[in-house]
Amino acid sequence: MKMTVSREDIRAYAPLIVLMALVLAVGLYDSTFFSSKNLLTITADTMTLFLTASGVTFVIMIGGIDLSIQSVASMASCILAVGLPRFGLAAIPLAVLGGAAAGFLGGIVSTRLRIPSFIATLAVSGIVASAAYWFSSERSINISEEDSAKYLGWAVGEVIGVPNEVWVGMFFLALLSALLGLTPFGRLVRAIGSQERAVMASGIDVDRTKIAAYALSGTMAGVAGILMAARLGSGSPTLASEFLLPAIACIVVGGTAITGGVGSVWRTFVGALIVQVVRIGMTFVGVSAFAQQIVFGFILVAAVAITMDRSKIAIVK
Amino acid sequence: MEPVLEIKGVSKSFPGVKALQDVSFSVGKGEVVGLIGENGAGKSTLLKVLNGIYQPDVGGVFVDGAPVRITSPRDAFDKGIAMVFQEQLILPNLTVAENIFLGREEEFLRYGLISKSRMNAAAAVELRKVHLNVHPGKRCADLTFADRQMVEIAKALSLDSRIKGDVTILLDEPTSVLEKKEIDLLFGIINDLKQRASIVFISHRLEEVLAISDRVYVMRDGKVIFETPAKSATIKALHQHMVGRQLHHEYYREARQTAATAVPVLEAQGLAKRGGFSNVSFTLHEGEIIGIAGVIGSGREDLAKCLAGHKPVDAGILKIGGKLASFRAAHDATARGIGFVPSERKIEGLVASFSVAENMTLAALPKFVSGGIIRFADEKKTADDWVAQLKIKTPSTATMVGSLSGGNQQKVVLAKWRVAGVRVVILDHPTRGIDVGAKEDVYELIRDMTAEGLAVVLLGDTLDEVIGMSSRILVMRDGEIAATFDAAPGKKPTQVELVEHMV
Amino acid sequence: MLRRLGCLRPAASFLLVGTETALSRALVKTIPLQSRWRDLAPVAVLVALCILITAFSPNFLSISNFIGLLNSSAIPMVLCMGATFIILMGSIDLSVEGIVAVSAVLVSLLVENDTTSYSIGLLAVPVAILVGGAMGFLNGFLHVKLKTPSFMTTLGVGFAGIGIATTVLGGFTARISDQSVRFLSLGRVLGLPVAAWIACGAVLLSLLVQERTRLGRWLYAIGADEITAGYAGIPIEKTRILIFTVAGLFYGLAGVMSVAQFGQGHALIAQGRLFTTVTAVVVGGTALSGGVGSVLNSVIGVFIVTILANGMILMGVPPYVQQGVQGLLIIVAVTLALDRTRLDVVK
Repeated sequence: MKMTVSREDIRAYAPLIVLMALVLAVGLYDSTFFSSKNLLTITADTMTLFLTASGVTFVIMIGGIDLSIQSVASMASCILAVGLPRFGLAAIPLAVLGGAAAGFLGGIVSTRLRIPSFIATLAVSGIVASAAYWFSSERSINISEEDSAKYLGWAVGEVIGVPNEVWVGMFFLALLSALLGLTPFGRLVRAIGSQERAVMASGIDVDRTKIAAYALSGTMAGVAGILMAARLGSGSPTLASEFLLPAIACIVVGGTAITGGVGSVWRTFVGALIVQVVRIGMTFVGVSAFAQQIVFGFILVAAVAITMDRSKIAIVK
Repeated sequence: MEPVLEIKGVSKSFPGVKALQDVSFSVGKGEVVGLIGENGAGKSTLLKVLNGIYQPDVGGVFVDGAPVRITSPRDAFDKGIAMVFQEQLILPNLTVAENIFLGREEEFLRYGLISKSRMNAAAAVELRKVHLNVHPGKRCADLTFADRQMVEIAKALSLDSRIKGDVTILLDEPTSVLEKKEIDLLFGIINDLKQRASIVFISHRLEEVLAISDRVYVMRDGKVIFETPAKSATIKALHQHMVGRQLHHEYYREARQTAATAVPVLEAQGLAKRGGFSNVSFTLHEGEIIGIAGVIGSGREDLAKCLAGHKPVDAGILKIGGKLASFRAAHDATARGIGFVPSERKIEGLVASFSVAENMTLAALPKFVSGGIIRFADEKKTADDWVAQLKIKTPSTATMVGSLSGGNQQKVVLAKWRVAGVRVVILDHPTRGIDVGAKEDVYELIRDMTAEGLAVVLLGDTLDEVIGMSSRILVMRDGEIAATFDAAPGKKPTQVELVEHMV
Repeated sequence: MLRRLGCLRPAASFLLVGTETALSRALVKTIPLQSRWRDLAPVAVLVALCILITAFSPNFLSISNFIGLLNSSAIPMVLCMGATFIILMGSIDLSVEGIVAVSAVLVSLLVENDTTSYSIGLLAVPVAILVGGAMGFLNGFLHVKLKTPSFMTTLGVGFAGIGIATTVLGGFTARISDQSVRFLSLGRVLGLPVAAWIACGAVLLSLLVQERTRLGRWLYAIGADEITAGYAGIPIEKTRILIFTVAGLFYGLAGVMSVAQFGQGHALIAQGRLFTTVTAVVVGGTALSGGVGSVLNSVIGVFIVTILANGMILMGVPPYVQQGVQGLLIIVAVTLALDRTRLDVVK
């Protein structure tokens, strides 16, 4: 009996298999890796990356890209750090709202103004970066211990031995997965990424869904920024500047194709774990933090090349 | 004497379509050969095989008697064949000279750099052949549409001065964008060319073809079915050969044809779209099927897209259910109860990777949502109901729609609009790429719809279909309604009567 | 509770629609753009800008400011030449900062410096250019052979480039002491900075390539309509790879110029350059969709961006605002330049 493995199968299971293989490999090198405390810490560390990338997953599924997430997350951290002493708990929704607004702007620019998303979000990234510097008066702002204890306890700290970041991450994983799988918005995101013309011809206002996807991306980047600020104890305009490449990498490595229509939020989660484990693995093996960026650059290109659905793009520009 | 260019027994298929079936065709030295036929007859495909854009699946191409493989248009050019396309392929940001010699700039190189003066001088020579009085250094974006067409023709004709030996020029509907004055000019050029080149000429205007050609081929359904010297051909005879299919009353369920009620559902008054159609007026009633016949370029496809809201109209009034309507996008039209079944089913009709159920509810999602969540059970039930009612062959409603046959896919598309509860359905080539049995099912479904009071605008794949299905027929030509026919069962117009106004 | 939130939906959507419409109406003008407008508008903008800034700060028109402008526009000018070619072809190159970084770091380690013992002097210039070209070739090769969109491959290569540069220097900076290299930026010839002369040479060379070589004409063909270009027998894959390589050569040159200007090499030496490069090309009038524009357009664009930055400094605007202004500039420029008849699906 001949077993043929289709491209769909590879895309479906490869990331999980890769993750397990990697964990095994690293564990063989250093068996302390397998301790539950260690695994939980790693998962907690991965959450900020995952949250940053979770919203962008929706944008990539509609066939676009968001290059502004690192600026948005940084801006959110600034809003939080500056806002906590002044507005207390209200600073949190304010920061999230900032992220949503930035995403919304990116959405409008790329849909109503018909500007390709990578330029639109690149431009918005600049605007948002300026905003971040302005909010923070160009420096990093510390979050006082008492503010952190009062308002950010839900983000740092532990509940039944599991770091709160993991709970937060799981919560959003569940929420966004439900959004993608159970709501009309989620279905339209998948549809637009698969066959936008058919969705338009079916009488759906495609622009509205796309703008919502970008707004979601910005919102999640905002949430990630809040979490980052909580963990670090400060907010700054460059807090998340190293996150763009890994965020896109996690989405693609997890099996979501940039051609759109295929993917899910849990894939991004698996991708984030893979990125984290690869990072740890490289550190064990002695690859410098700097060199890791080289590796990720090439992993990104390779993952995209493998997962792309070329039947969708007649001419590659 | 050996023909300059010949194909023997060529067949070419695309997924779902047999574009050419065992076609043999030849062009003699200094001969002008005309090629006519309905839409989809295979004329353009034939030319594209000669030009190297398509490779034949079966059969051979012969240049001067010797078998050749033409791998690309550039290869065709080097072998003495050049084509002028129906869609203008002039690059607007390059100059006239650069367009004429695109890809062949080597001959003007001096120390690795292109000598503009030499290229312009050479271009001027070619331009004189087509009597086009523009400076070769002018950017094509600054020329009129007709002038650009002449540059395109000059580009093909430049073959003549560059290739030794026999030369063949292929012209695909070159006159459809030209005015009378320019057409006369073109014919003058063709007559001049006859000394040195052979020409293949496609046009839907039969008088033109007969006026200029030495011989005429008629194609139908991918086959060459008639060949005649132009001198002895009459337009009436050509019409007969172009259509020549038997009409089956049963096939189109004429017995079920409903008469239009008195309730107007859609009124068009003086609709016009620049470059598409003008002065289109008609009223569509409940239970009525209006068929629109016309060749490519007649404006009927544009009209359909405008009625469905995919493209904006430039002038005129549209009323839906008595109220004024103005569509900026497809969703405006859908909101007013108009559904559109597109000709490109896989691109515009369905999301191939979605299931049958997901596709069926796509146009009416809000109906299946409560509390922000999709009611999957309801969706499945609705889909199951429609699958049963339309006899859709699918393992289940969760099956990916892309794996269904063409006919069943089309049924899903129709179901989608039934689920959305539209009042008007615009069908753009609804039976294209579907096998005969499935076609009959689709006709049955269309009758079901009109029986329930829906109104249909039909752009039929074939004249047969338009005549058999419609209650009324509009014939379009060059953007205007050329004739209207009543088509009650038993009193149907003949295909020839329609074709007379189409070409 | 969900139902109560549900009644907010109409209000929220009203707000959304209102904002959307207001924003897009404000930014979208329905002037049909013709080629003349595309060429003349940037010049008009440049002139208007100069007048505006002079009104605020007459210092603008001084010789010393002018020299300063030439200096600060030199590197962007060189970068834009390469970027323009790529954008004319319909692609995009997000690896600018990475390639410049690699080139700069290499140069800083090969000439007389405080970290290594090499001292190859001006030989570093061709080395830098070739290294840039090699990375550009990598860009093109991955893009063409892996059939992956250029924004992805250049994004990856760009990041890898920064990584390489960081790794080689271990995160540190290499300070150079080679005066011949520093002359490339600090020196004067005929009263004008050498860097400006280099930039001028780059512009002239690019113009020659664009107008008088087959490569240049094929660029336009591929950018305008790749299918027609293919029919005409233009070797599309080879041309694509070649153009990315050529752009890399320019970025390499910019790398050695950067080292000359700053007197040191480090991985983030080109930080922010991507933004200004893309802004300049787009503002100058070259269309992102390809096939329309010219290096001359980009020259104007570079001046607009540089003068705007200069003006903002003269007017006391904080530097971090510049990024935001550039972002807005990109949006406005692309919107105005957009060909509205091409209502294809935009991703």
